[in-house]
Amino acid sequence: MAASTNNPAGSTMVKVLCCVCGIPIDPNAANTCASCLASTSDITRGISTEVHLHQCRGCRRWHRGAGKWMGCDLESRELMSLCLANISGLKAKSKADKGVRLVDASWIWTEPHSMRLKVRLAVQKEVQAGTILQQSFLVEFIVRNQQCVDCAAEFRQGTWKSLVQVRQRVGHKRTFLYLEQLILKHGAHRGCLSIEAFKDGMDFYFPDKGKAARFICFLENVVPIKTKCSKKLIGTDDKSNVSNFKYTNLVEICTLCKDDLLYLPAKTARNMGNISQLVLVKNISNLIHFIDPLSGQTASMNAEQYWRDPLRPIITAARSRMTRFVVLGKEPVVLRRNVSKRTTSKKQKSKLAELTLAKEDDLGVNDVQYQDRSHVGYLMKSGDVAAGYDLKQAQFVHDEAEELRQAGKLPDVVVIRKLYGGEKRLWQLKRLDVDVTETALSLKARAAKNQEEADHMDEEDFMQEVEADKEMRQNMNLYKSAVVPQQPKNDEDDDEDDDDQQIRLEELLDALALDAGPDDEMEDAEGEDGNLAPGEYEEGEKAAKDGIKYIDREAARGIKEKDVAVPVTGGTFDKELDFDDL
Amino acid sequence: MATRCVFENTHEIGVFAALTNSYCLTGVGGSENFYSIFESELSEHIPVIHATIAGCRFVGRTTVGNRRGLLVPNTTNDMELQHLRNSLPDSVVVQRIEERLSALGNIIATNDHVALVHPDTDRETEDVIADVLGVEVFRQTVGGQSLVGSYSKFTNQGGIVHPRTTVEDIEELSSLLQVPLVAGTVNRGSDVLGGGLVVNDWSAFVGLDTTGTEISVIESIFKLSRQGRQQTQSSMVTDMRSSLIDQLS
Repeated sequence: MAASTNNPAGSTMVKVLCCVCGIPIDPNAANTCASCLASTSDITRGISTEVHLHQCRGCRRWHRGAGKWMGCDLESRELMSLCLANISGLKAKSKADKGVRLVDASWIWTEPHSMRLKVRLAVQKEVQAGTILQQSFLVEFIVRNQQCVDCAAEFRQGTWKSLVQVRQRVGHKRTFLYLEQLILKHGAHRGCLSIEAFKDGMDFYFPDKGKAARFICFLENVVPIKTKCSKKLIGTDDKSNVSNFKYTNLVEICTLCKDDLLYLPAKTARNMGNISQLVLVKNISNLIHFIDPLSGQTASMNAEQYWRDPLRPIITAARSRMTRFVVLGKEPVVLRRNVSKRTTSKKQKSKLAELTLAKEDDLGVNDVQYQDRSHVGYLMKSGDVAAGYDLKQAQFVHDEAEELRQAGKLPDVVVIRKLYGGEKRLWQLKRLDVDVTETALSLKARAAKNQEEADHMDEEDFMQEVEADKEMRQNMNLYKSAVVPQQPKNDEDDDEDDDDQQIRLEELLDALALDAGPDDEMEDAEGEDGNLAPGEYEEGEKAAKDGIKYIDREAARGIKEKDVAVPVTGGTFDKELDFDDL
Repeated sequence: MATRCVFENTHEIGVFAALTNSYCLTGVGGSENFYSIFESELSEHIPVIHATIAGCRFVGRTTVGNRRGLLVPNTTNDMELQHLRNSLPDSVVVQRIEERLSALGNIIATNDHVALVHPDTDRETEDVIADVLGVEVFRQTVGGQSLVGSYSKFTNQGGIVHPRTTVEDIEELSSLLQVPLVAGTVNRGSDVLGGGLVVNDWSAFVGLDTTGTEISVIESIFKLSRQGRQQTQSSMVTDMRSSLIDQLS
């Protein structure tokens, strides 16, 4: 017995011949050498080599089973984990069945549009006591498109459960432009399936009642609204006592807008701190704030009061109704103390000024000048352009106001705001992704053009409003536009009055991705699952980052479907690969 | 020459056949194929007999015998005993043994001179074996297995033992049996040698699964190669696998 080995017990085991190939081996259960065993046994039997994966085409997320969707990059660890979880036969079915041990997994290059993922796996299995075989094989994943629930809900129009119809019965869109900015700033449209714009409002579609309620709650806090809710029975299941409803919430926003001119009923004016009847709407939050342009006195009214007896403006601050004035001179106003019970806060008092104005159109035509007090007088200096109402030329529907106007008891001019530079704006705004409704599309060409012009004017008005109101800007995000100059101009420094309402460069936010479409913005806002934008990595880069082997295009050509099993030297298992801990 | 054969669907032909230098017993199968194989190989020289023991056909495991005699368990009925006595040559003594371990083929391994028995066999049985078969009897284990009949097989030419037998054990057994021994397998790696292999001094039958390597080991150790080829074959085998064959005798 030349060839023999000493076993630990001290006695010498004989070598037997491998029953297949005849080489001397230590006796084992099959009395077959490992290489013969390997050639006859396929340890990958029962492991699927073609697996289907489902990916949502809309959001590029992967179906993880049980209706869960997961966003993960190509070549990422997460995707590998998902792939491995989908391979049947890789996990031991029972305690008794030890199954195979996965020791290696690597990505194989696939053509990006092939809808295939390829993974090369190496498994080990103890085919008999002491003999462990390792075999590498290739698993191909076929990527199938399947719309995820969220995308399906977004796609199909029938899936909304709750509709919020926001309406304001006015002829302009400024309130909605403002509302849009508020929504964007607060991300209030999160969970919204789609948004549609109508002539005097917008529709927000929500997948459930709760999200709609949250949205309405948000609206309640930013504008005075009145809601009306109705529901429609879609279907009912008597057995389980379940009914399916669609809810429609009509949200009506108060018709007053910032800068509207009002002639308050005497009683209302008296109730609001005996304010003058002719007031401007200073701004709108959940309250309506009024200011007397002549004295600077302010008052506010809550939504409840408003809806009990809705006020109508005598002039709505929209398009063409405003006149441009040139400031010719300014005199500070010293209010006599205790002139009446009317109170004017110190802050507002200091802003009052007596302005000498001329209509821009009148310059060089005639010498008509107006002298009036203004609550924004402090902003002005000679040569500035201001927007205001020319009450001389106006015609009021309101009888009492009209009488007063004709009697000359109203001021000639009510200045609303200062207009800022004609040059290009330093800032820009984000917009919501709004669907245009059929009604808008079905307009005749001319009507559509008019509509478009009107929209442009509204936008311009809104921009001017934003420029002139610092408080308003606090509620929205302003982004730097592409034309931001390198050196901000400092020529205003010599002004005697500091213009605190003007937009400063440092107010503006940096990143508004100009190339990103509105869809992306929606997704960003909705990005609850934190999925990254795909395709940001080079081939193999992500795999390298995640510590997964990557077989590139050249090497992938030489990869066989299934390698022959090879015995593992040493007879011990390698460390099991574990992607489950992710 | 070793012949591959199969009994019905099983490769464990040693269960259904017993072969000595003077007779061969085969179980009663569904078809005569199994019997025919033995008959074609052996009928020129020795009788090939259909037999049952206690109405069962696994005659290979329940009986043990050599050139001089045949031992059957006490479950054998008189008819069967009578049939055996009638069919076997007169020189062969048939003896029924009162042994608790009735699968005699499993507990006894024998050639014409020496027998190995299970360590738990009765003293009387041992005596009967010695008397009837005319052999020296040794209580032994093979490769840690007590069922010496199952895990070893030897003739007057040589023997094959369980693959897990140690070198020391093989040396000891070889000195007892006075024949060369080798550790080997049948039926593609099976260590149940008694089950897969029936052999006498000039012929051998193995299960159908047995590989060429196994057959070559069997042929060389039992010296079954035909006279003309014997030298070359055995010398080749010894050259190739000298490490395996005990050079003791």
